[in-house]
Amino acid sequence: MSPPDPSQLLARVNRDVERSLLRARNGIRYVRGTNRPRLGVTPKDVIWQRDKAQLWRYRSTAVDVSQPLLIVTSLISRSYILDLLPGSSSVEFLRDAGLDVFMVDWGIPDELDAANTFETYVDEYLPRAVAATLAASGADEVTLVGYCLGAVLAILYACGHEAPVRNLVMLAAPIDFGEMGPMVAALREGRLGPDELLDDTGNVPADLLYSGFFMMAPTSVVAQHATLLENLWNDEFVRGFQAVDQWTRDQVPFPGGAVQQVVDDLVRRNVLISGSWRLGGREIDFTNTGASILNVMATNDRVVPRAASEPASRLVGRPERREEMVVKGGHATFGTGRSAFTQTLPRLAEWTRSHSDAKETTSGGDSTARGR
Amino acid sequence: MSDGPPTWLKLVLKAERVLGSRVESAVHSDTYFDLVTQLRRSGTRLSSTAEGVSRRIIHLANLPAGTDIRRIREQLSRMERRLVEVSKELDELAAEREQELH
Repeated sequence: MSPPDPSQLLARVNRDVERSLLRARNGIRYVRGTNRPRLGVTPKDVIWQRDKAQLWRYRSTAVDVSQPLLIVTSLISRSYILDLLPGSSSVEFLRDAGLDVFMVDWGIPDELDAANTFETYVDEYLPRAVAATLAASGADEVTLVGYCLGAVLAILYACGHEAPVRNLVMLAAPIDFGEMGPMVAALREGRLGPDELLDDTGNVPADLLYSGFFMMAPTSVVAQHATLLENLWNDEFVRGFQAVDQWTRDQVPFPGGAVQQVVDDLVRRNVLISGSWRLGGREIDFTNTGASILNVMATNDRVVPRAASEPASRLVGRPERREEMVVKGGHATFGTGRSAFTQTLPRLAEWTRSHSDAKETTSGGDSTARGR
Repeated sequence: MSDGPPTWLKLVLKAERVLGSRVESAVHSDTYFDLVTQLRRSGTRLSSTAEGVSRRIIHLANLPAGTDIRRIREQLSRMERRLVEVSKELDELAAEREQELH
C-alpha cells in the first residue's frame, strides 16, 4: 500500500474543515429555524376566487401550447409542493416547457367549510375555475391535471359535466381504497368512525392527518436527519430538505362533509373501482369523457400505492384514449426530488405537448379579473 | 477519495431499515389501531367529563364556559354558512336576470 499523497491529504483536510464550518453554520440556522426558504414563489396572479378557493395563473411570456394546463390540487395537502423552490418547482418547469400553467388552490378550510362535500368542489368550484381558465387564456379546452385526491375531483368534473377537457392527467389517483393501507383499513372495518376524526370545527384537524402520514414510516425521520447531518454543509441540500420538511408538516384540515363521503363511499363501499359514483343526484360514469387520458403512478408511493391508482388506467375515459406512465419515486415525486426534474416532469410535459395544439402566437390572454 | 456516503451513515440507514420495518409492522397492525382508537375515545370521554364538571362550576358563578363559547361559535358558523349560501343564490339570480336582459 503506497503512502498517501501529501497534496491529496491536505486537500481532503481542507475540504473537511471547510465542510465542518459550513455544517456548524447551517446547523445553527436549522435549529434556530432561521433562513427558511420561501416556498411557492413563482410569479402568479389570482384570476378567480370563490370562498377560499383561488385560481392562479403563472406568469409566462413563452406559451406555445394552445390548451392551458390546469392543476387541481389535493384537499389535504398544501399546493406549494408543486411550486416548492425556484429552480425546483414543477409549475416553473411546466411553464418553461411552453405551457400556460394554472392552479386551483382550495385554501385552508375552517368552520365555514366543514360542510363542503365533493359536490362543492366538482359542481361548484371546478366548473367556474375551468371557465375562468378558458376566459383568461382564450382557449376552448384545457388540460386538466389532478394530483392525489385532486385527480379524483378532476375525473368527477371531466366525466360529470359537459367539460371542455382535451386531456385528463391523473397523478397518483386514489381509486382502489382497498389498497390504501392500514389507516384506511381501520376506517373500512368500522374500528374508527368518521365522527371520531373530526374536531370542534367539523373538519379533520391537520395535525391528525400529519400523524397519519407520519405513522406510515415513523422511523424514517431518523434516516432523513442522519442524511441531513451528512449534507449539512451543502446549502442547496439544506434548502431542499427544509422545503420538503415544511410541506410534510404543513397539512390542511379535511372538510367534514367530504370526509363522510370518503369514509362511506370511497373507503367502505370502495365505489370508485366500479367506474362510477353517484354524486350530486346523478351517476357519474368515468368513461363519459372524450379526453385523452394519462394515468401516472409512482413506483414507491406509500401514500397512494401504485395498486390503488392502477384501476384508473382501465376505468377512466375511452379505451382507445387511455395511456399510463410509471415514474420513479414516492408520492411527492411530482414536485420534488431529482427524478422529478430529470424524468417525471420532462415526460409529462412531452406527453401534454404532444396531445395539445401548438399556439399560433406566443402571448396568451392577460385577464387578471376576479370573478365569482 | 470516495464520494459515497460515509460508513456511519450507511450503518444508521441500515439500522433504521431493520428497526423501521419492525416498528412499521407494529404500528400498521390492527392491535395498534384498536389501541389508538380506544385511547382517542378515552381521551374524548375524559375531556368531556372534565368539561362537564368545570362547566357546572363556572355556571354557578353565572359565567360562560368554554363549551358555551364553542356552541355559540358553531351557531355563528352555521349562520355564516347560510349567509354565504344565500349570497351565492342571490349572485346567481342576478347573473340570470342580467342574461335575460341582454
